Amino acid sequence: MSRDTVAVYTDAPRVRRRHSRDAKVVTPAPGLRMPRAVRRLRRNAPMYAIQGLSDLSTRLRELTGREIIDMNRVMELVQFAYQQQQLAKRGANYVVDDFGFDAEWTESFLPIFKALYRDYWRVETSGMEHVPSSGRTLLVANHAGVLPWDGTMIKTALFVEHPHPRHARALVASLFMGMPFLSWFLRRTGQTVGHPDDTRRLLERDQLVLVFPEGVRGTGKLYADRYKLRRFGRGGFVSTAIRAGAPIVPVSVVGAEEIYPMIADVPALAKLMGLPYFPVTPFWPWLGPLGMIPLPSKWRIQFHEPVHVEVHPPEAADDQNLVMALSDEVRDTIQQGVYDNLKLRRGVFI
Amino acid sequence: MTPPFPSRVLITGVSNPLGAEVARRLAPQVPWLFGCDVDDPVSANEDMDFVHADMRQSVIGKLVRRLRIDTVVHLAVIVDSGRGDRATHETSVIGTMNVLAGCAGPASSVKRLVVKSSQAVYGARPEYPSVLAEEMASLGRGESSITRDLIELEQLSHDFALRNPECRVARMRLGYRVTRETSLGRYLSQPLIPTFAGFDPRLQLLAEEDAAEAIALAALGKQEGAFNVAGDGVVLLSQAITIMGARSVPVLPPYAGWASRMAIRSTTGVRLPSHLAEVLMFGSVVDCARLHQEFAWKPAHSSRAAIDLFAQGKSEDVIEAPSPPQEYELQRYLQRRKRERRHGAGHAALTAGP
Repeated sequence: MSRDTVAVYTDAPRVRRRHSRDAKVVTPAPGLRMPRAVRRLRRNAPMYAIQGLSDLSTRLRELTGREIIDMNRVMELVQFAYQQQQLAKRGANYVVDDFGFDAEWTESFLPIFKALYRDYWRVETSGMEHVPSSGRTLLVANHAGVLPWDGTMIKTALFVEHPHPRHARALVASLFMGMPFLSWFLRRTGQTVGHPDDTRRLLERDQLVLVFPEGVRGTGKLYADRYKLRRFGRGGFVSTAIRAGAPIVPVSVVGAEEIYPMIADVPALAKLMGLPYFPVTPFWPWLGPLGMIPLPSKWRIQFHEPVHVEVHPPEAADDQNLVMALSDEVRDTIQQGVYDNLKLRRGVFI
Repeated sequence: MTPPFPSRVLITGVSNPLGAEVARRLAPQVPWLFGCDVDDPVSANEDMDFVHADMRQSVIGKLVRRLRIDTVVHLAVIVDSGRGDRATHETSVIGTMNVLAGCAGPASSVKRLVVKSSQAVYGARPEYPSVLAEEMASLGRGESSITRDLIELEQLSHDFALRNPECRVARMRLGYRVTRETSLGRYLSQPLIPTFAGFDPRLQLLAEEDAAEAIALAALGKQEGAFNVAGDGVVLLSQAITIMGARSVPVLPPYAGWASRMAIRSTTGVRLPSHLAEVLMFGSVVDCARLHQEFAWKPAHSSRAAIDLFAQGKSEDVIEAPSPPQEYELQRYLQRRKRERRHGAGHAALTAGP
């Protein structure tokens, strides 16, 4: 080892200390100090636990010939816990964008959503090659299920299946952006309010924007009306895409309709609570919070060939005829995709 | 040869810290600088002539005409106050009406008018776009009194600009500032900060010196219309609280703005204006692209840098400033001395010195 390398190593901590703004002297907490053996054990306990579990997993595999404990999944959960610890340590030293999106924080939740994606809803995704690796794109999807789990699964699919994982920024009804906790979580994970100006801004920053033109009309429909697409707003998403010069990628989702089979809506209660609908399912509200657990239906997500609306000049955005025609084209593609995927699915839960 | 423009500048509301800072920046760049306010000036400025004048009376017109003012920097606008709504309305709206009336007319010498406004003109609602551009000022009808007042006074200035095309009017919408004088700054200076449960709003901040620089640039420039002035980037309230070394206590019930403000006032003693209560729930971020483009200038401090500055300054000892009356006396003396120097060689012996 040369002398220079040594000098760099010895210099390193001093340089770092000079640059840190809020360096403070850390004193050990006063109180009883555990014996060294106990301290070492406490430090190494997680490692021992993982080792033990891994041994058990190998033993069970040898005994039964099947994977009883999947160590990869276990490690993902460990990683999740570790990441949460690390995130807590960063204090105020992180940056969110103008919309309040914290990418690092969002990615830390990925293991949970990946588990739902792979193991719970067993999502099969096709047509990922239609989503470009970079540049502005508008994803348009059908909306179903009482809670927007379809949005989270599309976002997870883009992270799990795409060769260049990308964050999709979903547009949310303004009603939800005013709710405590929910609005905080939505903003932090990259969602923003469903306003044309927000869509334009995100597209101009070359982001991937996810929009559900059906809105709450889609999520609030009864089980009897499943897989019948509602009106696609007034085609506003097409005008915005034309103005921003972004291609539209239609996305059809199958499976979200069955997670909360909504048998009735109680508009009076909804009005009282300021909600767009108050669902009644076989489990909600009868079982209380347990009724909020979604059913493990089998999902299929398909990304369709892009509709290249960016070939039209920006002025075409004011041509209501063209806008409605393109909107219908996107809607028909999604509706057809939904029917195709329903045929490909063997059953609701398998 | 045309006289240099601007040559005779009047700053209203010069006795607040922002006004004093603007005066300090403008003083070396303009030949004649006048300032007026109801209160005594907060700091001595020998290059500025100070006049006691109440914006709420029509004396301002007389002042403008007698002094042949060509540039008016109207800073006597309350953008952040927990005081009475009526007093705020009197100062902001009626005061602005008087200033505009004083500058109006075809024979008027005023060719440039800069009006201070605030990001508070937008208010904050969950359904508003995440990033607010200048034309979105009256999205709502104005939930809080300050927002309503600002919308009204901006409307007055806009109408004035339409009726008086020879006078160029710029409305500077300053971002939320964190200093010891602002409500937001006092709110963030508490050791325990009550926050709205389940909300972590995006805040966009503006450093005090950037605010003064923007106003000074506008006074010397020709840009017309409304301009958002705020630092780059966003700071979450939770980040700001951590930077200030405080702790947040998420206990305030959402939506109950009035009750929450009462709770904050009774626990911390900070009178929070109602528009700030909305901002502390839903956040407020503005688009400063127009400012960057037309002024070819952007605030030196980002939102993050603004709160860092405030957090660092918080622990410093404040040097005891001389009391305002003393400052006023000092200023009078300095001005007299300057005038004597300028006019009479006969007094040279009396005011000997370099």
